[in-house]
Amino acid sequence: MKKIVDWFDERIQTREIKETLFDRKIPKGVGWIYALGSASLFLLILQAVTGILLAMSYSAAPDHAYASVQYITEQIPMGAIIRGLHKWGASFMVIVVTLHMIRVYFMGAYKFPRELTWVLGVLIWLVVIGFGFTGYLLPWDQKGYWATMVGANLAGQAPFIGEAASKVLRGGEALGAITLTRFYAIHVLVLPASLLTLVGLHLFLVVRQGISAPPERDKGERS
Amino acid sequence: MDTEDNGRRSFLKKAIFFLSGLIGAGLAVPSGIYFLSPIWKKTEEDWIELGPVGEIPKREPIKVDFVQRKKDGWVTVEGRSSAWVITADGQNFTVFDPHCTHLGCPYRWDASKKQFLCPCHNAAFGIDGEVLAGPPPRALDRFASKVVGGKLLIRPLSEKKEG
Repeated sequence: MKKIVDWFDERIQTREIKETLFDRKIPKGVGWIYALGSASLFLLILQAVTGILLAMSYSAAPDHAYASVQYITEQIPMGAIIRGLHKWGASFMVIVVTLHMIRVYFMGAYKFPRELTWVLGVLIWLVVIGFGFTGYLLPWDQKGYWATMVGANLAGQAPFIGEAASKVLRGGEALGAITLTRFYAIHVLVLPASLLTLVGLHLFLVVRQGISAPPERDKGERS
Repeated sequence: MDTEDNGRRSFLKKAIFFLSGLIGAGLAVPSGIYFLSPIWKKTEEDWIELGPVGEIPKREPIKVDFVQRKKDGWVTVEGRSSAWVITADGQNFTVFDPHCTHLGCPYRWDASKKQFLCPCHNAAFGIDGEVLAGPPPRALDRFASKVVGGKLLIRPLSEKKEG
Protein backbone atom coordinates (compact mmCIF):
# COMPACT_ATOMS: atom_id res chain seq x y z
CA MET A 1 0.00 0.00 0.00
CA LYS A 2 2.69 2.45 0.99
CA LYS A 3 4.64 1.50 -2.14
CA ILE A 4 1.68 2.35 -4.35
CA VAL A 5 1.19 5.71 -2.62
CA ASP A 6 4.94 6.41 -2.99
CA TRP A 7 4.87 5.52 -6.68
CA PHE A 8 2.19 8.12 -7.35
CA ASP A 9 3.71 10.63 -4.95
CA GLU A 10 7.09 10.55 -6.71
CA ARG A 11 5.45 11.30 -10.02
CA ILE A 12 2.58 13.67 -9.31
CA GLN A 13 3.09 14.66 -5.65
CA THR A 14 -0.18 13.20 -4.42
CA ARG A 15 0.69 13.93 -0.77
CA GLU A 16 0.85 17.59 -1.62
CA ILE A 17 -2.60 17.38 -3.22
CA LYS A 18 -3.95 15.56 -0.18
CA GLU A 19 -2.48 18.14 2.16
CA THR A 20 -3.92 21.01 0.14
CA LEU A 21 -7.35 19.42 0.04
CA PHE A 22 -7.72 17.81 3.44
CA ASP A 23 -5.14 19.30 5.80
CA ARG A 24 -6.28 22.87 5.38
CA LYS A 25 -5.95 25.43 8.10
CA ILE A 26 -9.34 26.14 9.62
CA PRO A 27 -10.04 29.33 11.57
CA LYS A 28 -10.91 29.16 15.26
CA GLY A 29 -14.54 28.94 16.29
CA VAL A 30 -15.68 26.86 13.33
CA GLY A 31 -18.54 24.49 14.19
CA TRP A 32 -21.03 22.09 12.71
CA ILE A 33 -22.84 24.64 10.56
CA TYR A 34 -19.63 24.87 8.54
CA ALA A 35 -20.29 21.29 7.39
CA LEU A 36 -23.34 22.29 5.33
CA GLY A 37 -21.20 22.78 2.23
CA SER A 38 -19.66 19.32 2.57
CA ALA A 39 -23.14 17.93 3.22
CA SER A 40 -24.29 19.52 -0.05
CA LEU A 41 -21.35 17.90 -1.85
CA PHE A 42 -22.25 14.52 -0.37
CA LEU A 43 -25.87 14.93 -1.50
CA LEU A 44 -24.65 15.90 -4.97
CA ILE A 45 -22.70 12.63 -5.21
CA LEU A 46 -25.70 10.70 -3.87
CA GLN A 47 -28.00 12.31 -6.44
CA ALA A 48 -25.53 11.65 -9.26
CA VAL A 49 -25.11 7.96 -8.40
CA THR A 50 -28.81 7.24 -7.86
CA GLY A 51 -29.76 9.42 -10.83
CA ILE A 52 -27.47 7.53 -13.20
CA LEU A 53 -28.95 4.24 -12.00
CA LEU A 54 -32.51 5.49 -12.44
CA ALA A 55 -31.74 6.77 -15.95
CA MET A 56 -30.77 3.21 -16.92
CA SER A 57 -34.36 2.06 -16.61
CA TYR A 58 -36.34 5.21 -17.34
CA SER A 59 -38.12 6.07 -20.54
CA ALA A 60 -38.91 9.74 -21.16
CA ALA A 61 -42.04 9.18 -23.23
CA PRO A 62 -45.62 9.83 -22.06
CA ASP A 63 -46.60 6.24 -22.94
CA HIS A 64 -43.77 4.70 -20.96
CA ALA A 65 -42.55 7.14 -18.31
CA TYR A 66 -45.03 6.16 -15.60
CA ALA A 67 -44.76 2.44 -16.34
CA SER A 68 -40.96 2.55 -16.37
CA VAL A 69 -40.93 4.28 -12.98
CA GLN A 70 -43.32 1.61 -11.66
CA TYR A 71 -40.96 -0.99 -13.12
CA ILE A 72 -38.01 0.53 -11.27
CA THR A 73 -39.95 0.64 -8.01
CA GLU A 74 -41.57 -2.78 -8.17
CA GLN A 75 -39.47 -5.05 -10.38
CA ILE A 76 -35.81 -4.09 -10.10
CA PRO A 77 -34.08 -5.36 -6.94
CA MET A 78 -33.28 -2.36 -4.70
CA GLY A 79 -35.16 -0.16 -7.20
CA ALA A 80 -37.45 1.23 -4.52
CA ILE A 81 -34.43 2.14 -2.38
CA ILE A 82 -32.54 3.81 -5.22
CA ARG A 83 -35.61 5.78 -6.27
CA GLY A 84 -36.38 6.65 -2.65
CA LEU A 85 -32.83 7.91 -2.08
CA HIS A 86 -33.04 10.09 -5.19
CA LYS A 87 -36.44 11.49 -4.24
CA TRP A 88 -35.55 12.28 -0.62
CA GLY A 89 -32.04 13.31 -1.59
CA ALA A 90 -33.58 15.90 -3.89
CA SER A 91 -35.57 17.49 -1.07
CA PHE A 92 -32.57 17.41 1.24
CA MET A 93 -30.41 18.95 -1.49
CA VAL A 94 -32.67 22.00 -1.74
CA ILE A 95 -32.87 22.31 2.04
CA VAL A 96 -29.16 21.82 2.77
CA VAL A 97 -27.95 24.07 -0.05
CA THR A 98 -30.37 26.77 1.10
CA LEU A 99 -29.19 26.44 4.72
CA HIS A 100 -25.59 26.67 3.49
CA MET A 101 -26.46 29.86 1.67
CA ILE A 102 -28.23 31.32 4.74
CA ARG A 103 -25.19 30.51 6.91
CA VAL A 104 -22.84 32.24 4.50
CA TYR A 105 -25.15 35.23 4.31
CA PHE A 106 -25.62 35.73 8.05
CA MET A 107 -21.94 35.24 8.81
CA GLY A 108 -20.98 37.71 6.15
CA ALA A 109 -18.73 35.11 4.54
CA TYR A 110 -19.69 36.38 1.08
CA LYS A 111 -17.70 39.61 1.57
CA PHE A 112 -14.28 40.47 0.15
CA PRO A 113 -12.35 38.50 -1.00
CA ARG A 114 -14.96 35.78 -1.49
CA GLU A 115 -17.54 37.55 -3.71
CA LEU A 116 -16.86 35.20 -6.60
CA THR A 117 -17.49 32.13 -4.46
CA TRP A 118 -20.81 33.71 -3.41
CA VAL A 119 -21.87 34.49 -6.98
CA LEU A 120 -21.05 30.94 -8.07
CA GLY A 121 -22.95 29.67 -5.03
CA VAL A 122 -26.06 31.62 -6.00
CA LEU A 123 -25.86 30.14 -9.50
CA ILE A 124 -25.47 26.66 -7.99
CA TRP A 125 -28.57 27.30 -5.88
CA LEU A 126 -30.52 28.21 -9.03
CA VAL A 127 -29.30 25.05 -10.77
CA VAL A 128 -30.43 22.97 -7.78
CA ILE A 129 -33.90 24.55 -7.97
CA GLY A 130 -33.89 23.77 -11.70
CA PHE A 131 -33.08 20.14 -10.91
CA GLY A 132 -36.02 20.01 -8.53
CA PHE A 133 -38.42 21.59 -11.01
CA THR A 134 -37.46 19.40 -13.99
CA GLY A 135 -37.14 16.21 -11.97
CA TYR A 136 -40.61 16.63 -10.51
CA LEU A 137 -42.22 16.04 -13.91
CA LEU A 138 -40.28 12.91 -14.86
CA PRO A 139 -42.41 10.26 -13.04
CA TRP A 140 -45.26 11.59 -15.21
CA ASP A 141 -47.80 11.24 -12.43
CA GLN A 142 -50.67 13.60 -11.69
CA LYS A 143 -48.68 15.60 -9.17
CA GLY A 144 -45.73 16.13 -11.48
CA TYR A 145 -47.94 16.93 -14.45
CA TRP A 146 -50.01 19.58 -12.69
CA ALA A 147 -47.06 21.05 -10.83
CA THR A 148 -45.35 21.59 -14.16
CA MET A 149 -48.55 23.08 -15.56
CA VAL A 150 -48.55 25.54 -12.65
CA GLY A 151 -44.84 26.25 -13.17
CA ALA A 152 -45.27 26.92 -16.87
CA ASN A 153 -48.28 29.17 -16.19
CA LEU A 154 -46.32 31.07 -13.56
CA ALA A 155 -43.61 31.71 -16.12
CA GLY A 156 -46.39 32.85 -18.44
CA GLN A 157 -47.29 35.66 -16.02
CA ALA A 158 -43.97 37.42 -16.50
CA PRO A 159 -44.37 40.77 -18.26
CA PHE A 160 -43.55 40.91 -22.00
CA ILE A 161 -41.58 37.66 -22.20
CA GLY A 162 -44.11 35.54 -20.28
CA GLU A 163 -45.75 33.81 -23.21
CA ALA A 164 -42.44 33.09 -24.89
CA ALA A 165 -40.99 31.75 -21.63
CA SER A 166 -43.85 29.33 -21.03
CA LYS A 167 -43.65 28.15 -24.64
CA VAL A 168 -39.92 27.52 -24.31
CA LEU A 169 -40.50 25.60 -21.08
CA ARG A 170 -43.21 23.42 -22.57
CA GLY A 171 -41.56 23.08 -25.95
CA GLY A 172 -44.84 24.17 -27.52
CA GLU A 173 -48.40 25.24 -26.78
CA ALA A 174 -49.37 22.29 -24.64
CA LEU A 175 -47.72 20.21 -21.97
CA GLY A 176 -46.92 16.83 -23.49
CA ALA A 177 -44.35 14.50 -25.00
CA ILE A 178 -42.03 17.33 -26.03
CA THR A 179 -42.18 18.85 -22.55
CA LEU A 180 -41.16 15.51 -21.06
CA THR A 181 -38.15 14.96 -23.34
CA ARG A 182 -37.14 18.60 -22.85
CA PHE A 183 -37.29 18.33 -19.07
CA TYR A 184 -35.44 15.02 -19.18
CA ALA A 185 -32.63 16.42 -21.34
CA ILE A 186 -32.33 19.46 -19.09
CA HIS A 187 -32.40 17.30 -15.97
CA VAL A 188 -29.78 14.75 -17.04
CA LEU A 189 -27.58 16.73 -19.48
CA VAL A 190 -27.82 20.52 -19.19
CA LEU A 191 -28.05 20.87 -15.42
CA PRO A 192 -25.47 18.21 -14.45
CA ALA A 193 -22.94 19.77 -16.83
CA SER A 194 -23.64 23.23 -15.41
CA LEU A 195 -23.56 21.99 -11.84
CA LEU A 196 -20.23 20.17 -12.25
CA THR A 197 -18.61 23.25 -13.76
CA LEU A 198 -19.99 25.62 -11.13
CA VAL A 199 -19.22 23.35 -8.18
CA GLY A 200 -15.71 22.73 -9.52
CA LEU A 201 -15.00 26.46 -9.62
CA HIS A 202 -16.76 27.03 -6.28
CA LEU A 203 -14.63 24.38 -4.55
CA PHE A 204 -11.45 25.60 -6.21
CA LEU A 205 -12.05 29.02 -4.71
CA VAL A 206 -12.89 27.55 -1.31
CA VAL A 207 -9.63 25.58 -1.24
CA ARG A 208 -7.59 28.42 -2.71
CA GLN A 209 -8.86 31.12 -0.34
CA GLY A 210 -9.60 29.04 2.74
CA ILE A 211 -12.82 29.46 4.63
CA SER A 212 -13.68 32.69 6.37
CA ALA A 213 -13.39 33.07 10.12
CA PRO A 214 -16.63 33.48 12.05
CA PRO A 215 -17.38 37.17 12.61
CA GLU A 216 -16.19 38.50 15.92
CA ARG A 217 -18.76 39.60 18.39
CA ASP A 218 -19.13 43.32 18.65
CA LYS A 219 -17.84 44.29 22.11
CA GLY A 220 -20.58 46.85 22.48
CA GLU A 221 -18.43 49.88 21.70
CA ARG A 222 -20.16 51.82 19.00
CA SER A 223 -18.47 54.76 17.49
CA MET B 1 3.81 16.94 10.65
CA ASP B 2 1.40 15.35 13.12
CA THR B 3 3.36 16.32 16.22
CA GLU B 4 0.25 16.28 18.38
CA ASP B 5 -0.79 12.89 17.01
CA ASN B 6 -2.25 11.78 20.29
CA GLY B 7 -5.08 9.34 21.00
CA ARG B 8 -7.82 11.82 20.29
CA ARG B 9 -6.61 12.73 16.83
CA SER B 10 -6.08 9.18 15.65
CA PHE B 11 -9.41 8.11 17.14
CA LEU B 12 -11.26 10.83 15.23
CA LYS B 13 -9.40 9.89 12.07
CA LYS B 14 -10.43 6.27 12.46
CA ALA B 15 -14.00 7.27 13.26
CA ILE B 16 -14.17 9.36 10.10
CA PHE B 17 -12.84 6.51 7.96
CA PHE B 18 -15.18 4.02 9.61
CA LEU B 19 -18.30 6.16 9.20
CA SER B 20 -17.41 7.13 5.63
CA GLY B 21 -16.86 3.45 4.84
CA LEU B 22 -20.21 2.57 6.38
CA ILE B 23 -22.07 5.25 4.41
CA GLY B 24 -20.16 4.32 1.25
CA ALA B 25 -21.03 0.65 1.64
CA GLY B 26 -24.64 1.52 2.41
CA LEU B 27 -24.78 3.28 -0.93
CA ALA B 28 -22.58 0.91 -2.93
CA VAL B 29 -24.38 -2.31 -1.99
CA PRO B 30 -27.90 -1.33 -3.14
CA SER B 31 -26.41 0.40 -6.20
CA GLY B 32 -24.41 -2.70 -7.07
CA ILE B 33 -27.41 -4.98 -6.69
CA TYR B 34 -29.53 -2.61 -8.79
CA PHE B 35 -26.92 -2.42 -11.56
CA LEU B 36 -26.14 -6.13 -11.58
CA SER B 37 -29.75 -7.30 -11.18
CA PRO B 38 -30.02 -8.54 -14.82
CA ILE B 39 -27.71 -11.39 -13.77
CA TRP B 40 -30.29 -12.83 -11.38
CA LYS B 41 -33.33 -12.10 -13.48
CA LYS B 42 -35.22 -15.29 -14.24
CA THR B 43 -36.20 -15.95 -17.80
CA GLU B 44 -39.94 -16.28 -17.80
CA GLU B 45 -41.31 -19.62 -18.80
CA ASP B 46 -44.10 -18.75 -21.14
CA TRP B 47 -45.84 -21.77 -22.53
CA ILE B 48 -47.86 -20.93 -25.59
CA GLU B 49 -50.91 -22.90 -26.62
CA LEU B 50 -50.79 -24.00 -30.24
CA GLY B 51 -54.16 -25.79 -30.33
CA PRO B 52 -55.83 -29.20 -29.92
CA VAL B 53 -53.55 -32.16 -30.50
CA GLY B 54 -56.10 -33.80 -32.82
CA GLU B 55 -55.80 -31.04 -35.41
CA ILE B 56 -52.16 -31.81 -36.13
CA PRO B 57 -51.68 -34.23 -39.03
CA LYS B 58 -49.53 -37.31 -38.49
CA ARG B 59 -46.22 -37.91 -40.30
CA GLU B 60 -46.51 -34.57 -42.14
CA PRO B 61 -44.86 -31.37 -40.81
CA ILE B 62 -47.24 -28.47 -40.40
CA LYS B 63 -46.41 -24.83 -39.86
CA VAL B 64 -48.38 -23.38 -36.97
CA ASP B 65 -48.61 -19.61 -36.48
CA PHE B 66 -49.00 -18.17 -33.03
CA VAL B 67 -48.90 -14.87 -31.18
CA GLN B 68 -46.23 -14.54 -28.57
CA ARG B 69 -46.61 -12.01 -25.76
CA LYS B 70 -43.23 -11.10 -24.39
CA LYS B 71 -42.52 -8.90 -21.43
CA ASP B 72 -39.73 -6.49 -22.22
CA GLY B 73 -39.15 -4.47 -19.06
CA TRP B 74 -42.27 -2.34 -18.63
CA VAL B 75 -43.46 -3.08 -22.17
CA THR B 76 -45.39 -6.11 -23.33
CA VAL B 77 -44.61 -6.89 -26.94
CA GLU B 78 -46.88 -9.00 -29.11
CA GLY B 79 -44.93 -10.81 -31.72
CA ARG B 80 -46.18 -13.07 -34.49
CA SER B 81 -44.15 -16.17 -34.83
CA SER B 82 -44.49 -19.73 -36.04
CA ALA B 83 -43.17 -23.21 -35.52
CA TRP B 84 -42.99 -26.45 -37.47
CA VAL B 85 -44.76 -29.31 -35.70
CA ILE B 86 -44.21 -32.97 -36.51
CA THR B 87 -45.80 -35.98 -34.88
CA ALA B 88 -45.62 -39.64 -35.73
CA ASP B 89 -48.33 -40.89 -33.41
CA GLY B 90 -50.32 -37.85 -32.27
CA GLN B 91 -48.82 -38.11 -28.79
CA ASN B 92 -45.14 -37.29 -29.10
CA PHE B 93 -44.37 -34.03 -30.81
CA THR B 94 -41.27 -32.47 -32.23
CA VAL B 95 -41.36 -28.72 -32.66
CA PHE B 96 -38.75 -26.91 -34.76
CA ASP B 97 -37.71 -23.30 -34.64
CA PRO B 98 -38.79 -22.00 -38.07
CA HIS B 99 -35.39 -20.50 -38.82
CA CYS B 100 -32.55 -22.25 -40.62
CA THR B 101 -29.58 -22.81 -38.31
CA HIS B 102 -27.26 -21.36 -40.93
CA LEU B 103 -28.23 -17.69 -41.06
CA GLY B 104 -31.78 -17.63 -39.80
CA CYS B 105 -33.79 -17.71 -43.03
CA PRO B 106 -37.27 -19.22 -42.80
CA TYR B 107 -37.41 -22.61 -44.50
CA ARG B 108 -40.33 -24.57 -46.03
CA TRP B 109 -41.39 -28.17 -46.23
CA ASP B 110 -41.12 -29.83 -49.61
CA ALA B 111 -43.77 -32.55 -49.53
CA SER B 112 -42.47 -34.37 -52.62
CA LYS B 113 -38.82 -34.51 -51.50
CA LYS B 114 -39.81 -35.03 -47.84
CA GLN B 115 -37.26 -32.40 -46.84
CA PHE B 116 -37.13 -28.96 -45.22
CA LEU B 117 -35.55 -26.67 -47.78
CA CYS B 118 -34.02 -23.30 -47.09
CA PRO B 119 -34.04 -20.98 -50.12
CA CYS B 120 -31.17 -18.77 -48.98
CA HIS B 121 -28.25 -21.16 -49.42
CA ASN B 122 -29.88 -24.39 -50.57
CA ALA B 123 -29.81 -26.10 -47.23
CA ALA B 124 -31.84 -29.25 -46.71
CA PHE B 125 -32.94 -30.90 -43.47
CA GLY B 126 -34.58 -34.26 -42.93
CA ILE B 127 -37.92 -34.72 -41.18
CA ASP B 128 -35.91 -35.40 -38.01
CA GLY B 129 -34.18 -32.03 -38.38
CA GLU B 130 -30.75 -33.41 -39.28
CA VAL B 131 -28.72 -31.58 -41.92
CA LEU B 132 -28.84 -33.34 -45.30
CA ALA B 133 -27.20 -30.74 -47.52
CA GLY B 134 -25.87 -27.21 -47.50
CA PRO B 135 -23.96 -25.04 -45.05
CA PRO B 136 -25.94 -25.28 -41.75
CA PRO B 137 -23.64 -25.95 -38.78
CA ARG B 138 -26.19 -28.05 -36.87
CA ALA B 139 -29.59 -29.70 -37.03
CA LEU B 140 -32.76 -27.61 -36.73
CA ASP B 141 -33.31 -25.99 -33.34
CA ARG B 142 -36.18 -27.34 -31.31
CA PHE B 143 -38.73 -25.72 -29.04
CA ALA B 144 -39.71 -27.47 -25.83
CA SER B 145 -43.22 -28.89 -26.07
CA LYS B 146 -45.75 -30.68 -23.91
CA VAL B 147 -49.34 -31.82 -24.10
CA VAL B 148 -51.72 -30.60 -21.41
CA GLY B 149 -55.41 -31.46 -21.50
CA GLY B 150 -55.33 -32.52 -25.12
CA LYS B 151 -53.65 -29.27 -26.19
CA LEU B 152 -50.16 -28.79 -27.50
CA LEU B 153 -48.05 -26.21 -25.66
CA ILE B 154 -44.64 -24.98 -26.74
CA ARG B 155 -42.00 -22.74 -25.24
CA PRO B 156 -40.42 -20.83 -28.10
CA LEU B 157 -36.87 -20.49 -26.82
CA SER B 158 -34.47 -22.34 -29.04
CA GLU B 159 -32.82 -25.32 -27.45
CA LYS B 160 -29.69 -25.42 -29.50
CA LYS B 161 -28.30 -28.74 -30.46
CA GLU B 162 -24.57 -28.51 -30.94
CA GLY B 163 -23.25 -30.51 -33.82
